[in-house]
Amino acid sequence: MLGWEFPPFISGGLGLHCYELTRELCKLGVKVDFFMPKSGKQVRSETPGLEIIEVAETSLHPYLARKSKSGGSAAEIYGWNLQNNIEIYNADAFATVSDFSKERKYSIVHCHDWLTSKAGGKLKAKLRLPLVQTFHSTEFDRNSSPWDYVLNIERSAAANADRVIAVSRRMANQVRRLGADESKIRVVYNGVTSGGFMNGNHHEAKNGKFRRGRKIVLFLGRLTEQKGPVQFLHSAKKVLEQDQNVLFVLAGTGELLPLLINLSIELGIVGNVMFLGYISEDEKRRIYAMSDVYVMPSTSEPFGITALEAMSSGTPVILSKTTGVGEVVRGALRVDFWDINGMAEKILAVLKYDALRKTMSPYAQAEASYLTWKRTAEDTLRVYQEIAIR
Amino acid sequence: MGIVGRKAGRRKSAGDCARKRMIGEQRGINLDICMYFQVHQPMRLRKFSLFNESAGSLFDLYFDHDLNERILRKVATKCYFPTNSLLLELLDEYPDFRVGFSLTGVFMEQCKRFMPEVLDSFKALADTGRVDFLAETYYHSLSSLFPKKDEFFEQLAMHKEALAGIHANPQVFRNTEAMFSNEIAWLAEGKGYKGIMTEGLESFLGWRSPNYLYSVKGCKKIRALLRNYKLSDDVGYRFSARWWSEYPLTADKYAAWLASSPGEVVNIFMDYETFGEHQWADTGIFQFMRSLPGEVLNYPHLHFKTPAEVAESVPPKGEIDVPNVISWADMERDTSAWLGNDMQRACFTMLQELEQPLKELQDPELLHIWRLLQNSDHLYYLSTKSLSDQDVHNYFSPYDNPFEGFINFMNILQDFKGRVEAMKK
Repeated sequence: MLGWEFPPFISGGLGLHCYELTRELCKLGVKVDFFMPKSGKQVRSETPGLEIIEVAETSLHPYLARKSKSGGSAAEIYGWNLQNNIEIYNADAFATVSDFSKERKYSIVHCHDWLTSKAGGKLKAKLRLPLVQTFHSTEFDRNSSPWDYVLNIERSAAANADRVIAVSRRMANQVRRLGADESKIRVVYNGVTSGGFMNGNHHEAKNGKFRRGRKIVLFLGRLTEQKGPVQFLHSAKKVLEQDQNVLFVLAGTGELLPLLINLSIELGIVGNVMFLGYISEDEKRRIYAMSDVYVMPSTSEPFGITALEAMSSGTPVILSKTTGVGEVVRGALRVDFWDINGMAEKILAVLKYDALRKTMSPYAQAEASYLTWKRTAEDTLRVYQEIAIR
Repeated sequence: MGIVGRKAGRRKSAGDCARKRMIGEQRGINLDICMYFQVHQPMRLRKFSLFNESAGSLFDLYFDHDLNERILRKVATKCYFPTNSLLLELLDEYPDFRVGFSLTGVFMEQCKRFMPEVLDSFKALADTGRVDFLAETYYHSLSSLFPKKDEFFEQLAMHKEALAGIHANPQVFRNTEAMFSNEIAWLAEGKGYKGIMTEGLESFLGWRSPNYLYSVKGCKKIRALLRNYKLSDDVGYRFSARWWSEYPLTADKYAAWLASSPGEVVNIFMDYETFGEHQWADTGIFQFMRSLPGEVLNYPHLHFKTPAEVAESVPPKGEIDVPNVISWADMERDTSAWLGNDMQRACFTMLQELEQPLKELQDPELLHIWRLLQNSDHLYYLSTKSLSDQDVHNYFSPYDNPFEGFINFMNILQDFKGRVEAMKK
């Protein structure tokens, strides 16, 4: 399996997916060699059957690297440096896997996103192995003006692979846009780390320092257009017109941070908005438990693992209608990402009506407990079995 | 029940009629068949917005007239018109055929507003003299569960008045969704009703059969008519179920099951929308109903009776004791379909709290709106029960999920409460 990142160095769903998927696959008896770029720190496998092999050196987080949406070609935004790194990684990964394959009998090559798929295509040709390509997002989702360099890699990945895994039905539609043959596409949903996000510290949840008796509405994700933080702040304004006793917390960082700070000042709500910046896994767990409601206002969300994380800590969730996770959960409220009033109404309802929170919370927890990574691995294994060489 | 009949299956032979006569003689007793249909359409709520200016009447602000009209027209075309004219034909053809109905006031009100001709077709049925109409709460509400019963009685009176408009005079009471208890029966008896219908549950029947008339603990005269849920659901739910071992259900097979049923009366109660709406026309449900009276009347010991006739036909076989409220809904057959979770109870409490201020205000429009909000469907949509039942709740619900439903209903209740409080000042 070829990936890009692995805990503790993760910037999104891809890394977490690879980490959980490989662990659960190994529990199902699959042996996995996981190739990834050198992280600087030694990443060790704690799972029997899983080996982690670091190949080329790169310090870039491609999905964090975009600087601004204004001005400059897509190439400038990503940086030629990134393109260079990708090429080096793919060449190194290809060489290393080829080497390894002399000793080990691989049955499947599995690539994640465009970052790794150049090597995947070459390995399929050289080793005559079936190729699985997972799409966690496509260039269409990440960029309103897609970069041809990336699109081309994604198109040929979709064409080369024997099976294309999409993390939701939404994602499957994007993969179709890349020209993938219908018969190859399989939807395998992401999961949530079971038990990992169950009720945090209740004392802290009630008495957190910055809470000061206020109710907390949480946004968590990269501060990019795709994640909808601008709509979040506009809704915050509407909510605060009705109820002053609410704190809006934005966790995560990204190119829109300066704009969002300005916007909260312009809207006159800066006293009720808090930017947390990048937060650790542990802080994440605590902020979920502390929050009264989690909002995911994404304009386009291939899946949205954080919604499941919030649900599994019993926090009511409001989702935009354009998320993959919305396809599998019923215990969440839904709103159009552009519907500022609708979003504010739902936030107000969750904050105001105890009966709603009390009913949603256990329901959300139960639902999240069913959507496990084990299920993701089982579904992935089924895809392997369709095409594996015995 | 009906085991012999189920095994007998389909048969047509020369000795058929003679054999059917023999079944009756062997049993030496008559068996009444009481068919009764529930007709209701809720007045569904609008998607209410906290941020939009609210001009016009509250009635227009809270209720989705377009949606309600659309649904009424659809169901009228698929169910009410074709089934009513079929029944009228059958009543004409078979002088011994009888059926019962209950129409909610909310249904009749929407007919008057959008499609008066629907109500006319029910009036035509009433005028045959062989169709019985049941009493219930005008608003299809849970007012029987309020601690004070004034509201319940007022809604009964309103319903009686509305039924007079289609020439019907109810003798038997049927509470919303067959909700029943000793107390509710006692209240109905106090209003002069001869019978009350509910679900025939093992929980209070024990080993006894629902196919008899029963008296009710704490009551003197009122008789309980108990729904035979197996035979009722064979038509209402399983008619088109391909997984069912008895599929397809034919009228002669069903009549044979009825004929071999033990007891004195079989109560077949179901939603009227079974015909053409829950079971679509292409399932053959209309052909089934078309043939049923003839097939049933082939058995000399079987007799159609209206609910009112059943209530007086035979002496009670025993007494039932139902201290806690039961209903015909969901697996639990209690009030949990409407009051099972915190959201539902919060809304119900809020509705009850509005009674006193509204009655003091004596504003007819506000009172009417409050009562329309009492419609049990608004609470039913908020149920969060297990998957199998949830499917039924979802089937009927205009909301994506119960939580969205709660937000809309509660926002309307809060808005309404705010207006009532403002009026009081």
